[in-house]
Amino acid sequence: MAGVSQLQKQFVDYKASLFQEGVLDEQFDQLQGLQDESNPNFVVEVVSLFFQDSERLLNDLTKTLNQQGVDFKKVGANVHQLKGSSSSIGAQRVQRVCIAFRNYGEEHNIEGCLKSLQLVKHEYTIVKNKLETLFKLEQQILAAGGIVPR
Amino acid sequence: MEVMKSLSDVADSKQQQEQQQQQQHFHVLAVDDSVIDRKLLERLLKGSSYKVTCVDSGDEALKYLGLIDHDDQKPTDSSSLTSPYPQQSSSEQEGSKVINLIMTDYCMPGMSGYDLLKRVKGSSWKDIPVVVMSSENVPSRINMCLEEGAEEFLLKPLQISDLKKLQPYLLKTLDQPSSSIDSSNNLVVEEIGDDDHDGQSKINEEINKGSVMNNTNASSISKRKAVTTETSDRIPKMKGLVVA
Repeated sequence: MAGVSQLQKQFVDYKASLFQEGVLDEQFDQLQGLQDESNPNFVVEVVSLFFQDSERLLNDLTKTLNQQGVDFKKVGANVHQLKGSSSSIGAQRVQRVCIAFRNYGEEHNIEGCLKSLQLVKHEYTIVKNKLETLFKLEQQILAAGGIVPR
Repeated sequence: MEVMKSLSDVADSKQQQEQQQQQQHFHVLAVDDSVIDRKLLERLLKGSSYKVTCVDSGDEALKYLGLIDHDDQKPTDSSSLTSPYPQQSSSEQEGSKVINLIMTDYCMPGMSGYDLLKRVKGSSWKDIPVVVMSSENVPSRINMCLEEGAEEFLLKPLQISDLKKLQPYLLKTLDQPSSSIDSSNNLVVEEIGDDDHDGQSKINEEINKGSVMNNTNASSISKRKAVTTETSDRIPKMKGLVVA
């Protein structure tokens, strides 16, 4: 049992740190609240969709911004989508960068956009890694026969 | 299933029971281009025992409603119970399916939620309540939608508490279209108080009207979160906006 409670503490602390660092916000808790016996993997499912969708958007943005004549309308549309989805799962820092990104897009500021793209990729990688770590901890707790603390 | 309209105590509990049963058959058409938001919305709605059909665009929504002619019936990710497209021809909408509520995102590529709203309100589905959702808090946009007949404007991301706001509109559809709302349905109208002293937050006040309203669109703005506004950017009070 010592193993499980250690893991549980690790999980709680780690999760708390994500909120403290602003990587996640209250919306993530809302997702948690939607997970139950009928939807036991809801959070992982939504987050997986977010990962897939974000990678697609980031690839599109990279392509669009590296073209001769940048289509800022396309940039705006993609950033809007990324902003929306990150907001929907509580990926706060990603969402925040998207706001600045969108403004640069509206100003047709290529340099600003490129900087934002770099930043948003950075923040996305962070939230992806951290969420994957969090899910791994959950799996470890479950494998050890424990319950994941909420 | 007939809905009882008696107001006596005994009939009330029976009515509640029947309403609950009816609620389990409430069918919501959800329109959103974001796969994440569709999943969220579907989960939220199914959690309230509603049937959900998800489509990813205004065009798909119109097809589903039979308002566009379509040759190929390719389903989108409607992971819900009903099949996407009607069996009958597009002219027989009301007979082929029941929809109690349409929820649509505002910003979508192609047809916007506003465009969809207009199309719906100009069709035989005009009595179906339409709720518009957006991640952006833009007063002019909100006003535009409410004036076009949207029942409600919700800010994304939606939360469980937002679903409670949908109840009155769904219950309304239990009655015949032309009838008035039973006072026991407790129609909730939300007012935005124009009272941010420090320019920080708007407070929702829920007013329980309780009086009988004649099939008017009790449009309102729902704001779950604090809205930071400049003093020049206040949202005016909106109360029971009546749509002609």
